[in-house]
Parts: sequence; structure tokens; C-alpha cells
Amino acid sequence: MADPNLAERPPHDEAEELLPWYATGQLDEADRAKVDAHLSSCAHCRQQLALEHQLIDEFQAMSPEVESGWSRLKARLETPAPAMAAPVAPAMRRPARPNPLSELWALLSRPAVATLAVAQLAFVVFAGSLLLSLSKPSYRALGSAPAPAAANVIVMFRSDATIEDVRDTLKLAGASIVDGPTPSDAYLLHVAPQQRATALAKLQSNQNIQLAQPIDGARP
Amino acid sequence: MSWSGVLKSPKADEESPAQTDERELLARISRGDLQAFERLYRLYQPRLARFLTTLLKRPQLIEEVLDDTMMVVWQSAGNFRGSSKPSTWVFAIAYRKAAKARARWPDPVEEPEFDNRVSEDALPDEDLHQERLRTALLKAMDQLSADHRAVVDLTYFHGLGYREIADIVGCPVDTVKTRMFHARRRLKQAMSGSLVDWL
Repeated sequence: MADPNLAERPPHDEAEELLPWYATGQLDEADRAKVDAHLSSCAHCRQQLALEHQLIDEFQAMSPEVESGWSRLKARLETPAPAMAAPVAPAMRRPARPNPLSELWALLSRPAVATLAVAQLAFVVFAGSLLLSLSKPSYRALGSAPAPAAANVIVMFRSDATIEDVRDTLKLAGASIVDGPTPSDAYLLHVAPQQRATALAKLQSNQNIQLAQPIDGARP
Repeated sequence: MSWSGVLKSPKADEESPAQTDERELLARISRGDLQAFERLYRLYQPRLARFLTTLLKRPQLIEEVLDDTMMVVWQSAGNFRGSSKPSTWVFAIAYRKAAKARARWPDPVEEPEFDNRVSEDALPDEDLHQERLRTALLKAMDQLSADHRAVVDLTYFHGLGYREIADIVGCPVDTVKTRMFHARRRLKQAMSGSLVDWL
């Protein structure tokens, strides 16, 4: 039954309000009959109904929980080395649970801590290079295909970059992941050596990238 | 003539076999049946994860609130009186738990930036448009209040009627309709904006 306090409203307004549930098939008989009757005479509402269907399709296709689950898991993987975390942590120290990573990023993006951020990023490059040199031998599988390409670029993606962003960014730069995430969530990439300057420029100007630096692993 | 019929759903107010099963599970859970609880958890985990993701902007809270919600279900299944659908009862618990969590940990001040994260060269036109549309919708959702987001998600994704939504979020049906009306206007603006960008 219709709500009594809706009884005097113009049919157009009432029908327009009900369109989402009309489109999802969630109206009772009385409501549905009202909307049906109105739709037959209102082109505007028919147009709105088409948009409702489109919105339903979009919301059914979205998967925000996957994005969110990924960033949650990524945050757990993120275990900044104490030496790096110490200088920036005290100002924002709160009980640990909610989202320390994104707050750290927020803090890092403020001018006052820019210097610290630069130092931290430099450390990431250094740590990445170190990791690269330490892990080199493990890239060679026993008696199998040629050794995978050496990493010559290190990148950090923005904390809100989705997996699609990461994929598209890599494709655009012609880069492939060699290793990572490092403890600081950086990735070691390989780009064709002769393309490195171009690829770096593309990466550095890409909005999904927080940092992109060349590294030379002194490969043979 | 009917213009509707998108989601496969029974008529409003009809009890589906799934709901009957869930009632039975709740009855068993109230007697401490762990197997029944696991079945209910597996049924609800994906839906609750989606709903809570819509409500909470701190990913770390989602897991915690989801667990807390299911713990309440485990401990108080005996209080489920059956006047509402089992799903209404469970979602209402989740909604209240999420509201409490937001009170303890307000949404982060600095929101992630959604704009133009699509690499323009990498995608064919059609996919690019799709990406932009989705990004625009996510951004518009992000700017809505949690109460508005809840109503949108429960309607478009979970396919619930306005009365059930009113029961879940604990407000009059007119408020649900008004919130939905406001939210739709924002979402449609975002959709048309993304189309203009594309053209």
C-alpha cells in the first residue's frame, strides 16, 4: 500500500522517486501499477528509467571490495623498516589499527615533510638496489630458459593505484616487473636498455607513479 | 505494460527458499551449531564485505566490522524473532556496527584522488569510456555521505526494496526515497560529465 503521506504528491514526483526499485523489480503491485501508468505518459521518466538500468549495470559490475581488500592486504605487507618510520611517525601516532599507510602517505605529501620524504625515497632506491644485488643469483632457474631480464628501474606506485592502473602503467612504459614488492612497496622493473630514458620519462610523468628512478644493477 | 524486470527477484514480500534456509540456519546457530554458522558466514561474507566497503573508507576497519557483525549473529541468533528477513537483520547489525566504527575512526580527511587515472593510450575507446564512467561514479559515490552510499548500494547492488532498506538503516521509508533521489541526481551528473569528457 502507498504511504498515506505520499497520497497527495504529484504522480510524476512519486513515480520518479520509485524508479530505482521499479527497475530492480522490487516494488509491490500498487507501486508498480502507479509507475507503469505514469511511464506510459512521461518521456522524461522513461529516459530516467534507462539511466536507472545503466546505473544498476554499473553497480553490479563494480567490485570496490576487491580494491579495498587489496589495499588492506597491501598495507599488511607494508612493514616499514624502523629507521625509516621513526622520523615521521610520532606526529601522527595513534592506536595502530586504521590505515597507517594512507595516513603516512598523506603526511608525506605535505610540504613540511617533503624533505623527509625525499630522504625516504632515496632510501627506497638504495634499498631496492641492494635487494637487487642480493637477489640476483636467484633469478637463474636451473638449466632452464635464459635468465630473466635485469631490473634497471625502481618504481613506487601511488597508494591508491588499482591493479588496472599498475597494469596499464607498465604496458604504457613497456616495462615488466622483475621483483617486488620490496618492504617499502617498491617494484623493480625491466625496460629495454635502449628505451630506458623514454620509459623513465613516461613513468615519471604518469599519475599512478609516486617515484620512478633508474637503477643499475651492474649486470654482466 | 511493464517496463521493469531487470533483476531476477521474487515479488516484494514473498519469502524465497533461500530466506527459509537462512531462518533455519539461524535457528541452528541459536543452539550453538558451528556448522550452521559457517554456512551462514559463507553466504554473507561476500555481501557484507561489499556493503561495508561502501560504508567505510578505512579498509582496515572492514574486516574488523565484518567479524564483529558475524560475532553478534553467533551470539544473538536466538534474538532473531523472524518478523523481518534474516538478511535485513544481519545487514542492520552490520550497519550499526559500521556506524560505531566510523564514530571511533572518522573517515580519513584526505581522500584518494580518482580523477584521470586512466592511461589514455593503453585502452581502446570503448574501454576508456567505460573506465572513465566507472571512475566518475566512484568519485561521485565517494562524495556522498555514508547514509546515502548505503541506500545506493543496497538498492543497485543488493537489489533490496525501499522498505527493507528503511529497516536496515533504521529510518522512515520516505527518508530512503529522498536519499536515493539525491544520490541518483549526483550519480547521473557524474555519468553525463564523464560522457562529455569522452566526447
